[in-house]
Amino acid sequence: MRNKGHIRAVMAALLALATAALVAACGNAGGGGGQGGGGEGEGGSTITIGSKNFTEQYILGELYAQALEANGFTVEKRLNLGSEQIADRALQGGEIDMYPEYTGTALVATLKDSEPAPDTPEATYERARELYSQRDPADTMLTPADFNNSYGIVVNRDTAEEMNLQTLDDLAEASPELRFASYSEFQNRDDGYPNLKENYPAFDFKDTIIVNDLNLRYRGLAEDQADVGIGYLTDGQIASQDLAVMEDEKSIWPFYYPAPVVRSDVLEENPEMEQILNDVSASLDLETMQQLNSAVDIDQQEPEEVARGHLEEAGLLEQ
Amino acid sequence: MDRILEVLARPDYPDLLWRHVSLSAAALAIGTVIALVVAMLVSRSPLGAFVAINVGNVGRAVPSLAILALVFPLFGFGFNTALVALTALAIPPILINASTALRQVSPQVIDAARGMGFSNLQVLGRIRVPIAAPVIFAGIRTSAVQVVASATLATFVGGGGLGDLIVEGYSRGDNYIMLAGAFSVAVLAIITELGFGGLERALTPKGLKVAQKRRGK
Repeated sequence: MRNKGHIRAVMAALLALATAALVAACGNAGGGGGQGGGGEGEGGSTITIGSKNFTEQYILGELYAQALEANGFTVEKRLNLGSEQIADRALQGGEIDMYPEYTGTALVATLKDSEPAPDTPEATYERARELYSQRDPADTMLTPADFNNSYGIVVNRDTAEEMNLQTLDDLAEASPELRFASYSEFQNRDDGYPNLKENYPAFDFKDTIIVNDLNLRYRGLAEDQADVGIGYLTDGQIASQDLAVMEDEKSIWPFYYPAPVVRSDVLEENPEMEQILNDVSASLDLETMQQLNSAVDIDQQEPEEVARGHLEEAGLLEQ
Repeated sequence: MDRILEVLARPDYPDLLWRHVSLSAAALAIGTVIALVVAMLVSRSPLGAFVAINVGNVGRAVPSLAILALVFPLFGFGFNTALVALTALAIPPILINASTALRQVSPQVIDAARGMGFSNLQVLGRIRVPIAAPVIFAGIRTSAVQVVASATLATFVGGGGLGDLIVEGYSRGDNYIMLAGAFSVAVLAIITELGFGGLERALTPKGLKVAQKRRGK
């Protein structure tokens, strides 16, 4: 078709596409959008804080950001960057100065440690800290908060009681009768399902449904679309839906304790940051994190408010 | 490039591809039927057409994730929930094109047909639809491409498809997995566009083809 109407239609479509792309580029879900780097603000330095793309990360990012702000720093927030790969690239490239990372994740995904996973949370942290400091540019992993955000295989409370399921061994044996709601990353990542299957070979679910949305996975458990789910130990839904967490007696997963990872040059210029950030981490434990996550995911509150509430309660906003 | 091909060679790839195609085909088929039936029903009523088109556009205005969440309690995880959301996306282009084209058939032609004794149904089936066919088909073609591109949404509700690859690649920061998924969708969309384009040419009544040529298309 070569008539004028056709050409005009194509031009209109291109114009609409360009406009849409422009609008989408201007919208930024992470809040803030300034360019990073530790510049000098009015009261103190400017610190750019990033985070990964899930609720706990938004909350941790907000907690650290607000604590720094209360202590005279100017903070640019670039939360919701993406996966650890993306956040790490931003850190090393100078687009952000720090972001919260988990000790285990750092070893596996960003530092690519070839040694077998350490046996204890402390050893995991020490190894991560050491490898981070050897990078170029070097990073400093500060003191972790005291909770393990590891994978949690969860089962509906009724099913768990009926079939007497308490450990992953129990679950593996019962798995041929159960439906598992999982997601693509877990199924294909080395430390995900392959790791589970290797250590508990009896796993053989009747049905594995790949549902790439955390909320829908949990809803599926609540609405009997699946019997077994995979989440993280700090997920708010574990508490609110009264899900039974299967005990991992073989400790097959690394330890995932969260800590701020800061570029060492930024930390050197602003040594006060260390104490402020460590105080925030020290105020968190498993139950607290579950509650904060729940406030955002289930009660639909904003991460910023939830973080502020916690900091106020912990007395960390007065300075 | 090799790494992308590695992803295509994964054992789960054929299933994802097939699921994507079958989901798209089903949504298009059902959407076409619904859209055509509605368009024919309102072909003689301007108000009816107006209402139908605006209701149909809800399928495009409401975010697909919202539709998924709403339908999920009814059908649960999997194919059917994704199908409902995709069908809602498939309907508007076909409905708009069909409704407009059916109603814009030249009144003189219809008059002539009535003069020959055609009933309303015969006018619809033997005059309106064949004349409107190219435009209707263009609507179906547009819808098909949109559906193939949007079928990635099935990943959020356990419906499978190439969206699984894209999300996995994104979550793991692995661009090759993500691109393998994205390229597959793009290639599918192009094949759909070309395939339907060919069908469109094949189905345009000969008389209209001649008229189009004369008008310099």
